[in-house]
Amino acid sequence: MNLATAMKVNRLADAVWEIPKTEKSGMLVPARIYGTKRILESMDAGVFEQVTNVACLPGIQKYALCMPDGHWGYGFPIGGVAAFDVRNGIISPGGVGYDINCGMRLLRTDLTLADVKPRLDALMTELFRTVPAGVGAKGFVKLSRRTLQDVMHQGARWGVKQGYGWDSDLIHTEEQGCLSGADPEHVSEHACQRGMGQLGTLGSGNHYLEIQVVRNDRIFDRSVAERFGIHGHDQIVIMVHCGSRGLGHQVGTDYVRIFEKAMKRYGIFVKDQQLACAPYQSPEGEQYFSAMNCAANTAFANRQVIAHQIREAFCRVFRESPERLGMRQVYDVAHNIAKVERYERQNLLVHRKGATRAFGPGSPDVPDPFRTVGQPVICGGSMETGSYLLVGTAQANSESFGSTMHGAGRTMSRAQAKRMVRGATLQQNMAEQGILVKAVSMSGLAEEAGIAYKNISDVVESVDAAGITRKVAELLPIGNIKG
Amino acid sequence: MGKAYRFLDEIVLGDLAFEATGDSVSELFESAALAVIEAMADPLTVETNWTKDCLLSESEIEDLFFEWLNGIVFIKDAEGVIFHSVRAMVRHDSENNLWHLDATLTGDGVDATRQDLRTDVKAVTKHLFEIRPDESGWYARIVLDV
Repeated sequence: MNLATAMKVNRLADAVWEIPKTEKSGMLVPARIYGTKRILESMDAGVFEQVTNVACLPGIQKYALCMPDGHWGYGFPIGGVAAFDVRNGIISPGGVGYDINCGMRLLRTDLTLADVKPRLDALMTELFRTVPAGVGAKGFVKLSRRTLQDVMHQGARWGVKQGYGWDSDLIHTEEQGCLSGADPEHVSEHACQRGMGQLGTLGSGNHYLEIQVVRNDRIFDRSVAERFGIHGHDQIVIMVHCGSRGLGHQVGTDYVRIFEKAMKRYGIFVKDQQLACAPYQSPEGEQYFSAMNCAANTAFANRQVIAHQIREAFCRVFRESPERLGMRQVYDVAHNIAKVERYERQNLLVHRKGATRAFGPGSPDVPDPFRTVGQPVICGGSMETGSYLLVGTAQANSESFGSTMHGAGRTMSRAQAKRMVRGATLQQNMAEQGILVKAVSMSGLAEEAGIAYKNISDVVESVDAAGITRKVAELLPIGNIKG
Repeated sequence: MGKAYRFLDEIVLGDLAFEATGDSVSELFESAALAVIEAMADPLTVETNWTKDCLLSESEIEDLFFEWLNGIVFIKDAEGVIFHSVRAMVRHDSENNLWHLDATLTGDGVDATRQDLRTDVKAVTKHLFEIRPDESGWYARIVLDV
């Protein structure tokens, strides 16, 4: 094999590989990478270096994982998953990322491509106006300091209470859109100031809002798809990818600095400053966990407000209520988070950075409509190639700390993508393919070109072959809004 | 080497890395700030209707530099502005063993209709973070989460 590492990488199964703990000094457990041979060969050197650095962190259990969409990040690789014993393990902001609870939300509709195509331009214009995106964008929700605290406490529930959404949205959201243990006391004044005006905004980078179509021949498990409200026949769905905005970014920034100092006191040494961490059961660890939950709840609220705005935009364009358009939420799932979960009668703090929870059938944390089939998993691909809806499996619970992939995964730097394609050209080419794109930043658009990403189908085949999620449906883009 | 910055595309994929240089530490603080500013928007399209003075002190130069760059990211969100230019003066107070920064940022409120907006920088990371004097002045390497 032609790999970007000199470390020994052993094949465990069709799409599972292991780097033994003898390959790097300080590794406490092996590192495991999910992916077909082709995916493994496409991974950059940073993945191998970073996943083995994670394997050195105190209290890590079983193995450090990287999903097939993994790529070079900071501290943890993107696609990294690691579980730590809550009694003697650490918590690390670098294992969550700065965009705390960056995640995906998927709304289904009863509309078809034939309904939407004639009005796609008007719909995209209305969505672009209604859901602010890009640097410095402000949302329509005006928060006081008091109401921001309510948002941090209540997450998506706050949004629904204000009339921004439906009660059923909450059942169809990871943790019902509200993580407990969120105390705004541990969120800095700077974080609050950054978050005040940003509720209901997309941000930029790889964040987007996308109108997608589900073709009949791209449904792989019709029974599970029907349970998720997906029936094909050129059905229209809407996907949102965004997170906690400036509030979460500042929480990450604040606690990396706090942890750098705390590590010296706790005698913890890490191989990368961005892996700064503290014992989970320490004042610093508990404060970060609490602040992270505040930011995660803000992200749930952010996506809740955006979903409301999407429904309102559809309502204006189609002159029908969102209820009559069947705009129910399929699911909302986090992919940058640390959560206490129970595995083999042990409470573990599971870090997912660019990885999605993927609980299988029967899990008490999977809501009733899905409990017998497993949790919906929403994976966003590049804006040119499409996305996937997957379902969690029992094997994920037993093998990968209930985790799977989150997207396509980059293979090219932003600068390289910009050298290869201009934003305006890309926009024109996509229009010719039937995908209407509206973007605040043309250079930002070029950075997100499909050529900069792995083929999401290869990534999905990897987790399907490994058994940690199963394919349900492919979702093909017809309209994309980017910051 | 003089005041300069250069975006690096060989050390990160999803994020944005750059190296900055300066004949003096003040020049380094200016050149690195300009890189952060340029990541967010084309400064030539930003007017100068807004100005802010920034005073910071830290005992370590690494901390002062990190706080300075993160401060720019904070101001972008908290005040809803992007930037046109920057002036920075750094001095070392050896009596109190403190580094002091006296800087001024100039820019304008965000307006996508008038400005060439680029990326919303989330944070300045500590990944591969480096600041040091070198043979021709000062050098730094920074990775931005975008």
